[in-house]
Amino acid sequence: MSFQLRCPQCGPRSVYEFRFGGEVKQRPAPGAPEEDWFRYVHVKANRAGEQTEWWFHRSGCRQWIQAIRNTVNNEVKRTWLAGEDHE
Amino acid sequence: MSTFAFDGRPIEVQPGDTVASALYRAGRRVFTRSFKYHRPRGLLCAAGRCPNCMVNVDGVPNVRACMTPAAEGMIVKHQNAWPSLETDVLSLSQHFDFLMPAGWYYKVFRSRAMWHMVESPIRAVAGLGEAPGVDDITGEYEHAWWHADVAVVGGGPSGMTAALDHASRGASVVLIDDQPSLGGHARYQTPAADVTGLRERLLGEADVRVLSRSYCFGLFEGNLLGVLQPNPHGKVNERLIHLRAGHVVVATGVYESPLVFENNDLPGVMLSTAVQRLIRLHSLKPGDTAVVAGSGPRAESVAADLKSAGVRVAAVVDPSAIRSASGTQGVTGVNTDTGSIPCDLLVLCGPLVPDAGLLSQAGAKLVWNETSGAFLPTDLPASVSAAGSVTGAALLAAGITRRDASKRCFVCVCNDVTTSDLHDGTSEGFDHIELLKRYTTTTMGPCQGKMCQLGAIGILAGLTGRTMGATGITTSRPPNPSVTLGALAGPRHHPVRRTPMHEEHETHGAVWLDMGDWKRPRYYRAGSAGETESVRAEYQAVRERVGLIDVSTLGKLILQGADAGKLLDKVYTHRFSDLKPGRVRYAVICDDSGVILDDGTIARVAEDRYFISTTTGNLEFVDQWLRWWLAGSGWDAWLTNMTSGLAAVNLAGPKAREVLAKLTDADLSRETFPYMACRETKVAGVPSLLLRIGFVGETGWEIHYPADEGANLWRALMEAGAEFEIRPFGVEAQRLLRLEKKHVIVGVDTDALSTPFDADMSWVARLDKPDFIGRAALVRASQAPPRESLVGFEMNDDTLPDDGAPVVIDGLPVGRVTSARFSPVRKRAIGMAWVPVDHAADGSEIDIRSGGRLVKASVRQAAFYDPEGERLRQ
Repeated sequence: MSFQLRCPQCGPRSVYEFRFGGEVKQRPAPGAPEEDWFRYVHVKANRAGEQTEWWFHRSGCRQWIQAIRNTVNNEVKRTWLAGEDHE
Repeated sequence: MSTFAFDGRPIEVQPGDTVASALYRAGRRVFTRSFKYHRPRGLLCAAGRCPNCMVNVDGVPNVRACMTPAAEGMIVKHQNAWPSLETDVLSLSQHFDFLMPAGWYYKVFRSRAMWHMVESPIRAVAGLGEAPGVDDITGEYEHAWWHADVAVVGGGPSGMTAALDHASRGASVVLIDDQPSLGGHARYQTPAADVTGLRERLLGEADVRVLSRSYCFGLFEGNLLGVLQPNPHGKVNERLIHLRAGHVVVATGVYESPLVFENNDLPGVMLSTAVQRLIRLHSLKPGDTAVVAGSGPRAESVAADLKSAGVRVAAVVDPSAIRSASGTQGVTGVNTDTGSIPCDLLVLCGPLVPDAGLLSQAGAKLVWNETSGAFLPTDLPASVSAAGSVTGAALLAAGITRRDASKRCFVCVCNDVTTSDLHDGTSEGFDHIELLKRYTTTTMGPCQGKMCQLGAIGILAGLTGRTMGATGITTSRPPNPSVTLGALAGPRHHPVRRTPMHEEHETHGAVWLDMGDWKRPRYYRAGSAGETESVRAEYQAVRERVGLIDVSTLGKLILQGADAGKLLDKVYTHRFSDLKPGRVRYAVICDDSGVILDDGTIARVAEDRYFISTTTGNLEFVDQWLRWWLAGSGWDAWLTNMTSGLAAVNLAGPKAREVLAKLTDADLSRETFPYMACRETKVAGVPSLLLRIGFVGETGWEIHYPADEGANLWRALMEAGAEFEIRPFGVEAQRLLRLEKKHVIVGVDTDALSTPFDADMSWVARLDKPDFIGRAALVRASQAPPRESLVGFEMNDDTLPDDGAPVVIDGLPVGRVTSARFSPVRKRAIGMAWVPVDHAADGSEIDIRSGGRLVKASVRQAAFYDPEGERLRQ
């Protein structure tokens, strides 16, 4: 694994500067059924293809970013700061 | 004239010599012994492609002599032969080759007992070279990270042209070449293209950085090249460059591979390009009488080169007519269809193979081309291109030999795999090239298939009746060529973090404890006393008088903003938005499965400012965790990591107030500065944040202040405490003091499955909050009784169990001790342990295994020391 991610603040950087934060998931609302919480905590989509992920620019600006990455070939389609409009 | 030592004898060195060329000039023909049969082996490729000249240089094994510049004072030793290269006892093994067919481990040693008998002697003689000890290698290794618009691999005419072309268009270029000077094949082949002009233009180009004698061992995802540069400067043996390039040009050319016939591995059987290198680059006369195996212009050109060097060319023979070579220590003749020809040099015009490994790693396909007699790269990714003969341009198939099954026809010289082994493997069903590779280990030696791949594919194709293309090619993987472990490991530096009071601890006789990168005093040696007595003295100072501990390693974070409380309410199990300024609260973080991740304290210093402490090891995690839940929230909250900027101490003991009062104007009375309060004030003139908390269970203040005042305030406190016989105390005393208070250490007493409900800390989970991380799981945990519980225990006799000792019920291990220490206040060993919940009641008797026997202990619900917390609140 030696691909690059474009940090929205720092530019293209080696993946080794980042910590992987897993798939982006919607946290259930308080009071949601137990099944929803179970899926949120324990079940991963583990998609072969494009998925939206969390990455933390640990050795850089120390911001959490989100990225669309193809898990098959590590092509990173887009990156953006969490909460920003990325379309 | 300079010299180096080979097996203790001096070898003269001419300018431009490699270790191999100097040895060859000195008359050496046997350079190494083969892997399996210990047959003598001499120079074959002279270009760093084959395994035949690997030696030990200055303690480093498996160094390719033909690629290593000879230098004054080098200590070079042979490997894989005993007692000498000329007389190697293990060469007897070739007379037992019938015992060593492909897969012989499985065929010969058919019972487990038999394998156990032979395993140790086999391991003793197997392998190549001897790994050096940690301290045997002098010099250093370093890593560098480079970026370039274009990286060109290969310094031949095509590589140089590509580099100039890209540079002229404004690109920054790095050119990597494994030879001492640029020119590639033009340096040693006739008719030589004149590359002098090209070379001069390139070296004058400011935007081109040329790395000579360096090699690229892998092309990784994202156009990351692994480049090895020997002796970049000073005392550095090797530098590993992580080179990231926008575009990669692979101009690695072709390499020559051997012909396969009986005794083709004898010293004196040499590739045509090797002979040309010896003649042109080192002015060597490679032999007296030569036979050239080849045809057409290549053979003619080599024959002409040999003649110009004074070698008599006895014959030029078509490869298909060759039956075998004769000789024992070296070639003495060639047997052909038409008779025998005596010679001391047999020159092979072998198949030329595009060096396309990097292209294949980049994702290119290799497709067989009959005219070129080679697998040629196609379907290159857009960011990689190929230039020159690696593309197969102008490549013509060479003549090949008949390659009958024989135990002396070597296909793979690295691992001594013969045509006979390949025939056997194929007939045993391993008739796919990737299976045959793994079964016979052909292409799996140090040359990584360079010498044997094409030969093995040809033999398998012949045996199965498939075409070369349908037979296919094995996969090229990095590192190729091989890389030393030293280069991969890089510099032998381990970061060490020292607190601002480090020197103070040294003067007090600190015995150090490594906590992550930090150095912390474990205890301070009290005169000639040992650890137990020293820790006891520190303990007594805190319980009876006053002690001072450096807690600078705690994580220290400042959270500011109007929504700071909102974030803390979400992330921590407690509520913090209602904490009054000037107050402190214990703080626990859980994840959404309810497991405790970290604990610490949070002080509300001002309306919109919180001071958060984390455990020493979890700072990075907590920092990331808070930022994660903040990310995208749009909340007005800002986190600053102050860990390195602040020193911190804990002053604790019945006399702590009196000591501190001498240094500050603040009112420290129990009424105005009660337990769990905080103030910003000056201590000994240093602006400080004081937290009235008590991990060790006595009246105490945690003082956070600027790191550059670290030693000053420490000394001021020690001086102010002198009249009360203040003592610095270390981690060991702190652990004992807190254990008597049953204060949990997250990660020591809890593990990756512990919730606050199991850990007897249910009071931290404020389930009345509408939401926080972990709430859903903790609601569930609150409804279902836990299976296990973290309890305190006191031993019934004077045994001290180990941390981690099992708790045993009815002969089964059902729990474990997390911490145990001798308690001076209880005069017994005390501790904490996980036990089944039906054994968690106060007074329950449990068995703990200690020193091979079961010992009795009693569960204690209350803290062992000051259970009401009166001393803490004094």
